[in-house]
Amino acid sequence: MNSPVLAVRDLTVALPTEDGQVQAVRGLSYEVAAGEVLGIVGESGSGKSVSSLAVLGLLPRDARVGGSVKLRGQELLGLPDRELSRVRGRRVAMIFQDPMTALNPVYPVGAQIVEAIEAHQRPGRGVAERRAVELLDLVGIADPRRRSSSYPHELSGGMRQRVVIAIAMANDPDVIIADEPTTALDVTVQAQVLEALRTARQATGAALVLITHDLGVIAGHADRVCVMYAGAPVETGTADDVFYQPRMPYTLGLLGSLPRIDNRGGRLTPIVGGPPSLLAPPPGCAFAPRCPMTVDRCREQAPLLTAVGGGHRAACHFHERLVGVSPQEVFGP
Amino acid sequence: MSIDSTTPAPVVSARGLVGHFPVRSRGLTRRVTGVVHAVCGVSFDLYPGQTLALVGESGCGKSTTARLLLNLIRPTAGSVRYGDRELTALSQRQWRPLRRELQLVFQDPYASLDPRMTVEAIIGEPLRLHGRYEPARVRELLDLVGLNPEHANRFPHEFSGGQRQRIGIARALAVDPRVLVLDEPVSALDVSIRAGVLNLLADLQTTLGLSYLFVSHDLSVVRHLADQVAVMYAGQIVDAGRADDLFASPAHPYTAALLSAVPVPDPRRERARSRIVLDGDLPNPVSPPDGCRFRARCPVYAGRLAEAERVACRDFAPTLRAGPGAAQVACHYPQTAPTTV
Repeated sequence: MNSPVLAVRDLTVALPTEDGQVQAVRGLSYEVAAGEVLGIVGESGSGKSVSSLAVLGLLPRDARVGGSVKLRGQELLGLPDRELSRVRGRRVAMIFQDPMTALNPVYPVGAQIVEAIEAHQRPGRGVAERRAVELLDLVGIADPRRRSSSYPHELSGGMRQRVVIAIAMANDPDVIIADEPTTALDVTVQAQVLEALRTARQATGAALVLITHDLGVIAGHADRVCVMYAGAPVETGTADDVFYQPRMPYTLGLLGSLPRIDNRGGRLTPIVGGPPSLLAPPPGCAFAPRCPMTVDRCREQAPLLTAVGGGHRAACHFHERLVGVSPQEVFGP
Repeated sequence: MSIDSTTPAPVVSARGLVGHFPVRSRGLTRRVTGVVHAVCGVSFDLYPGQTLALVGESGCGKSTTARLLLNLIRPTAGSVRYGDRELTALSQRQWRPLRRELQLVFQDPYASLDPRMTVEAIIGEPLRLHGRYEPARVRELLDLVGLNPEHANRFPHEFSGGQRQRIGIARALAVDPRVLVLDEPVSALDVSIRAGVLNLLADLQTTLGLSYLFVSHDLSVVRHLADQVAVMYAGQIVDAGRADDLFASPAHPYTAALLSAVPVPDPRRERARSRIVLDGDLPNPVSPPDGCRFRARCPVYAGRLAEAERVACRDFAPTLRAGPGAAQVACHYPQTAPTTV
């Protein structure tokens, strides 16, 4: 792999709540290279969104963030807000789940793209306006010149999200972080938005961090995958490694829980129980209470992310027992 | 839907169901300025012990259809037969005993359970209303849906999303219904939790002989549990038939596009697939186009039809009829080549 554009090391985030500190992220490390797509997948509360907010310094002030986030070697954590705002939108762009809250309802979308360009560059109004129309065209919006004077409420959900992607591309960023970019959208619209995201990545050459709970979206778009559970990465590797040879029972369980459109399949194998409270994470493996393979060691000692072959890594004491095992064999009755 | 000689009579039959809603002006006069054509002539049969899935994207009218069926919204026109009774003509009072037999499960288990009631009270309420309350029955129902009967005195907030949806299912089952209308019952749940609820629904159908009308936008879930599928677009059913037939060779271009857009959790397969990416959006339900409502986005209309052939799509609304395969299709030029999902 060529040198990483974004390198996250041992990221920890603790958020204060009325009941105590929630350890929302507990040691996340990843790297992405230019042009590469890293998929971060996990269920509600796994820390996948909080970690991306931490990368851009977008968490509330009382959040305690530890570790290191390096953008082309430059440390971002602890950077004063004024310097961070030169990075946000310019070198690292972010796409959120809900485009209606990302866009300003009282300005036309073209003006919002121009604003994004002019926040970091001085190309002159005419050039910026032409660039805005070009970007709308690039993300697949028909009749971009006319659409650039539309207000967000005049556009469909899929078009709004494509406008947000156009804004993300506006300054040719090094990294685009997309947090559940298609979650609120219908499948045919999701296909349009993912297509626009692919175009954005190819046009800018940016690295993409794609955060989603949808394993199907990850399978189709990610080069490498990081599976998160209870605030920590539990398995990382190429998409093929993680989907075809999962070595962490949680990943295996997720795959066994999925109904699939390509075959009716038999009975699903759900994972019983729910994720642990992150107010007081268990001392051992966070997945131990739900894992059918659990023994005493799992409850006492947290497994580290260890190499299981090539760049494939899994956090399980018994990862070698999962070679060639089906979800039914582990989670079945 | 095709009926062979071994098929029993349907439990519920809808014919030409229409749900139109007036759009009113603001201000004092509240003049009717238009009509939202939410559901326009929907017909289907639900067979005993089977699952019929109504699928489609936001705004296609699938949830409204479910509500019209249960008379939660009074249909503008059309008929719903339950056994030998016509339901659309009944008054609210006449409906009440039937509510026991046709129950609804909602999407959001956080919004559909009263936070101030204990689980015992929530599940006991329908039993009390129908005069058949017994404490033992509540515990039996909790056990049936995989919850601990000892937790009957807890409140909804003490349960996870998956457990709350089980409470919603237990409440629906309390009065021994024959038909469950499930409106996006697993959409709010995480993957690992969703699988458990889907298994529960399958088990309950087998043990209790229930018929499900399953309203969903999630085609993977529908593939997993439906016997029959009806695909809706802009208030109409465009494709209907046995799930196996419909998923193997979708005859309507919209169904084909819909299936091709669903991601598969299989990287190699995903890399090899080609998507049919549709342009544009749903037509405005206040002024649906004449002719075929899918025409403006249809890749077949735009790419493969000669101008002379397009006339039919513009001038005549296609009706649901036997297609090239085993399913019924509302398209003048249905697809014959099977797609590979």
